[in-house]
Amino acid sequence: MARRPDEEYDYLFKVVLIGDSGVGKSNLLSRFTRNEFCLESKSTIGVEFATRTVQVEGKIIKAQIWDTAGQERYRAITSAYYRGALGALLVYDVTKPTTFENVSRWLKELRDHADSNIVIMLIGNKTDLKHLRAVATEDAQGYAEKEGLSFIETSALEAINVEKAFQTILGEIYRIISKKSLSSEDPAPAGIKEGKTIAIAAADTNVKKPCCSSS
Amino acid sequence: MERRRAIDEFEPGPVPSPKALDRFGFVKQECGNSTDGLNLCRSSSEHEREERRVRKWRKMIGVGGSDWKHYVRRKPHVVKRRIRKGIPDCLRGLVWQLISGSRDLLLMNPGVYEQLVIYETSSSELDIIRDISRTFPTHVFFQQRHGPGQRSLYNVLKAYSVYDRDVGYVQGMGFLAGLLLLYMSEEDAFWLMVALLKGAIHEPMEGLYQVGLPLVQQYLSMFEQLVKEYLPKLGEHFTQEMVNPSMYASQWFITVFSYSFPFPLALRIWDVFLYEGVQIVFQVGLALLRYCHDDLVKLPFEKLIHALRNFPEDAMNPDTLLPMAFSIKVTRRLEELKQEYDNRIGSGRGQAATNNNHKLITTKISRLPVVNPLKLL
Repeated sequence: MARRPDEEYDYLFKVVLIGDSGVGKSNLLSRFTRNEFCLESKSTIGVEFATRTVQVEGKIIKAQIWDTAGQERYRAITSAYYRGALGALLVYDVTKPTTFENVSRWLKELRDHADSNIVIMLIGNKTDLKHLRAVATEDAQGYAEKEGLSFIETSALEAINVEKAFQTILGEIYRIISKKSLSSEDPAPAGIKEGKTIAIAAADTNVKKPCCSSS
Repeated sequence: MERRRAIDEFEPGPVPSPKALDRFGFVKQECGNSTDGLNLCRSSSEHEREERRVRKWRKMIGVGGSDWKHYVRRKPHVVKRRIRKGIPDCLRGLVWQLISGSRDLLLMNPGVYEQLVIYETSSSELDIIRDISRTFPTHVFFQQRHGPGQRSLYNVLKAYSVYDRDVGYVQGMGFLAGLLLLYMSEEDAFWLMVALLKGAIHEPMEGLYQVGLPLVQQYLSMFEQLVKEYLPKLGEHFTQEMVNPSMYASQWFITVFSYSFPFPLALRIWDVFLYEGVQIVFQVGLALLRYCHDDLVKLPFEKLIHALRNFPEDAMNPDTLLPMAFSIKVTRRLEELKQEYDNRIGSGRGQAATNNNHKLITTKISRLPVVNPLKLL
């Protein structure tokens, strides 16, 4: 398939946005892909989708991001989207402790449905609501270290750390992918450059769980 | 601190400042000459035609709906034709209650709604509150924090989550309730939700919201098959690009087009949906794809998904889209596909759910409250 120059990229990474309802997943996505924040946003029904192309270590990376409805009942539909995802942004709301407590349930959800070596980043969103903060940064940081996740706090409203969050996870995915293609003697697997979904994670299921973030 | 917040939560927010609204009460998007301008310059002959139409409708339904059942029995084809042309907006609320069977439920269950709202508690209350301001956020009725619109939306959803604790509250139901509340009282809207989800007239919708979303899965699977059969070239293109209906059509079924489609179109679809059933959702979906067919078949994955979530304005004109939808005959094929789906899902929970549905379909409205007994009665 011929692609126009503006669509050229070296890698295409599929990433999912998950976490409880109302934590700000859709606004993180719109902030990253369109630099927009919508105060009057509707709750997400099913899945939404957006892309953005960024540079990571000199490579052009296209992020294909699936935003999912947060309510538990919707997992019947949304969990199908974990398959083939190379990264997951697991979002909670720093003003709502239950959304942080539920993070472990989301991790289990990923273990059950996603590829075993998916890169996971924990995101505490809504740091702009300083007077309402109810989850301490250190608690989340500690939890993330224990679980081997990378961690960042963001404000989609004030556009703080959103760019950095996405850049970080895409960078981590890139380093794992490029390491793999070196060790497997193949040049970059063809599927990555052209395909719609990335099969590389699924293809290497017998590789031991990489600890990409705790090092 | 906690206490102050708790009080704040229940005080109505400021009344939203007056902004330009369209004729349905939605805040206008910044795009100058929309169809509303055209409406203002409607010719007087058009106006007269509209008045004649309302008179015809008034005669058909009688005072407060007294002649409705009689008329439907005598001339069902006339009713169907008139509904397909659109129910006059001033009579919509009443007619929706008549054609959905909700009016009968209301009359048979006096006081029940009040009981549900005032005396029962629901485990879904926090979930409902979280979504209240995220339901039709651009409509003037629902904009004021804790204002009348948000309160009635909360009440209806809470009442339903108590009425059917298996379903409880699921995101998407708010758009159903919100749409209804623009045309009727809380209590009327509640019973219309009951009529739809429990299947007073048509197939029950509750499977769209039950654990596992079984009916969503079924409808999406059937829709995918219909696309392959009715629009084979596009169906093939979808297969190649690995696009499936869960990527664009879940909300069509879960909210019956009320989530993101232009309001005038959603209303016209709801007119037909309440009278003819879910078939119209499949037909409108196919008509949208057919209308945009030649563009869609050329698009690669990402642009395709984008196009399927952002149909052009001309595609969503009810007066062209609906006739196209009606011309796509799907009734028999839908029955067959449903049968095939049931067989494929086979034993286990899927089958149990379907059997249950059949029972509810044959259950007439008069027995509905018995099917779902209210302990508090």
